[in-house]
Amino acid sequence: MAETTSTADSNGAALRASIDRSLRHPVMFFFTSGAAWLAVAIVLGLVASAKKHAPEFMTCCSWLDAGIVDAAHMSALIYGWGVQAAFGIIIWLMARLSRKECTNVGTILVAGHFWNATVAIGVICIMTGNGSGIPWMEFPSFVWPVLIFCFVLITIWSLIQFQVRDSGHVYVSQWYLLAGLLWFPWIAVTAYLFVFVFDGNPVMATGIAAWYKGTLFLLFFVPMALASAYYLAPKVTGRPVFSYDLALFGFWALAFLGPWAGMQKLVGAPIPQFLPYAGAAAMVLILIPAMSVGVNILKTVAGYGDVVAESPSLRFTASGVVLFVVYGFLSAALHLVPSMKMTQFSYSGYGLDILGLYGVFSLCAFGAVYFIVPRITRREWLSRRFIKWHFYLSLYGVVSIVICAIIGGVSQGQGIEDLSQPFGTMAERASQYGWGVTLAWGFLLIANLFFCLHLLLMWARLGRRSSHPTLLKAHHGESPHGPEGEIDNYGSASA
Amino acid sequence: MTFKAFIFGLLATFGLPWLVAVVIPFSTMRSLDPVRFEDGSKFEGVFMPKRDGRINEGSKIYGQQGCATCHTQLIRPTYAGNDVHRDEWAGLRKSAGNPDTRRETLAMDYDDEDVAHIGMSRVGPDLSNLGRRLDQHLAGTGLSPEDWLLRHLYNPREIKNYRKGSTFIPSRSSCPSKMGLFKETTAANAKGVALPVEIEDGKAIVPGDKARILASYLASLKKDTLGQPLPEALNYNPQAPTEEN
Repeated sequence: MAETTSTADSNGAALRASIDRSLRHPVMFFFTSGAAWLAVAIVLGLVASAKKHAPEFMTCCSWLDAGIVDAAHMSALIYGWGVQAAFGIIIWLMARLSRKECTNVGTILVAGHFWNATVAIGVICIMTGNGSGIPWMEFPSFVWPVLIFCFVLITIWSLIQFQVRDSGHVYVSQWYLLAGLLWFPWIAVTAYLFVFVFDGNPVMATGIAAWYKGTLFLLFFVPMALASAYYLAPKVTGRPVFSYDLALFGFWALAFLGPWAGMQKLVGAPIPQFLPYAGAAAMVLILIPAMSVGVNILKTVAGYGDVVAESPSLRFTASGVVLFVVYGFLSAALHLVPSMKMTQFSYSGYGLDILGLYGVFSLCAFGAVYFIVPRITRREWLSRRFIKWHFYLSLYGVVSIVICAIIGGVSQGQGIEDLSQPFGTMAERASQYGWGVTLAWGFLLIANLFFCLHLLLMWARLGRRSSHPTLLKAHHGESPHGPEGEIDNYGSASA
Repeated sequence: MTFKAFIFGLLATFGLPWLVAVVIPFSTMRSLDPVRFEDGSKFEGVFMPKRDGRINEGSKIYGQQGCATCHTQLIRPTYAGNDVHRDEWAGLRKSAGNPDTRRETLAMDYDDEDVAHIGMSRVGPDLSNLGRRLDQHLAGTGLSPEDWLLRHLYNPREIKNYRKGSTFIPSRSSCPSKMGLFKETTAANAKGVALPVEIEDGKAIVPGDKARILASYLASLKKDTLGQPLPEALNYNPQAPTEEN
């Protein structure tokens, strides 16, 4: 009996190793190029933020003009880092959970290179003054069909893997992956057609662009982050997900609310009046899926505090999930009707966007990167200190940005509404908090230099050859992984 | 949960909002009914706000230059904010020479633009009536709104002719410069379009095409009721009845 189990185990391990090996190149490609884009995005974010409070900063270069650099910063962050990190998570996680090797590595890599080139062209277009000026859709119109086509070429194999999998349990992560893979093309094609192609009312075009911004986050970035979290939390702790019913509820709550979000940016604009309020209501109620996911994941890891503390993947993931709950509370507070007056056109929206993109999505994505990369390179992370610095600086940086931008934004918005104060005072009030945001981007820059360097070393196959994962606390005495230096035999590193 | 139920659930939860919040409002907004002036009014025909300037091209450049990051173009109704009462964002206040021309933004205010630049945040003031404010502030100075705007775009903080009453005040603007839209040329080539900025002898700064188009667009921003009263159907701030009628 024991022999059978051990054969099954070793078959499973061999299958996992062959899946990892098949996906080595595309996943590393997406993670490393994503990390490089993240560094670019952070430098641009630093410049953009500095220009808010020091308008004379870097006026020499017209391609770094205020407004232009903001657009380039967000586009590099979303399409350079965010979507590419998601690609890496999608193709690896779906292959592992469906137990299928990837057989289309060539296509994925070619499409991935096209994606990078297209994003680069888009960012250059923005910086030479040829963007569209629409938030989160700043690339010029010809870029979008190429991006959507590349997206389909990269992800369609994951859908096929799911379809041809040997029937069995469908994991919670797979719901989120599948749904995100279906939502993204639908959202992106809709936004492209209704904003750039069809000839309609310009206010409605703006409304649909705002809807794209809201849904892209809630129905693509959040599902990808949660797919990773629902995989890693049980995997690393070795426990089942706390409640299957709660997971089901959280998923459908997100699916039900997400598609309404976005148009809250247009309260008071001349579009049908229910649209912005439906968006605001969705942003308030998003607290419900945030709470259910938060409770579920945190209950799964509850009592395993030492595991969370010493596993890099779980530490990042748990922080991302906690910040998702924070996102839910802040989103609810900022989108209630009385606060909408103050937050609609203030800096706080940027704070919430960064909390979502960096605090929720990126922290979960970092968790996935720390888990996946050692498996596909068959090397362990080199330095626990690098990971710790990355973690603390990231968390400190993103929390500072969110606090400064939201407090600054609310006080700015409140001041603009207060007619007893001149407008100029409010602009100055907001710019004081701008200093904090700039400083915080500096922290994130340092954090990601550690991350980028570490990842490049892993890419160059300079990681530790060991069967001991790099944990954030030194281990003494006996380890469950056997003596240091022993490497298992599945998939030789030279393959 | 079977796979079929899963896909059906996704189609239903996404498809309904997609139809209700995107497709149907888009087609409704595409063909808005024209609003006619009521019988007995001094005006006839359909209400159509008029703007002079290079609106479509200018709107594109406004977007490309990222102006919407810090400036809005939306006067919200009072249920959504105090914009109508803030400074002269919504139009001119009632004064000796002027009627009260303030109003909220209407859907047709963005006609001829590809997208409405509602804006991200208000680091700078709302620009819905920038052209109107400049007309008023520059009256009698001999400076046209376009010229003022070109100087402002080149260097927002050195402009000394922003007038308040009869005194000129230096601008405290925190707007970054758009120097990239201007070019340096020889004084001989400048032919009277040179900006009045100090630069080495024999050289001059002249606006490029994009700067001129953008200035024309910004000067066209006059979304109030001066010379263009609203028909009753669009007038959300009707005059209180006076004792005479």
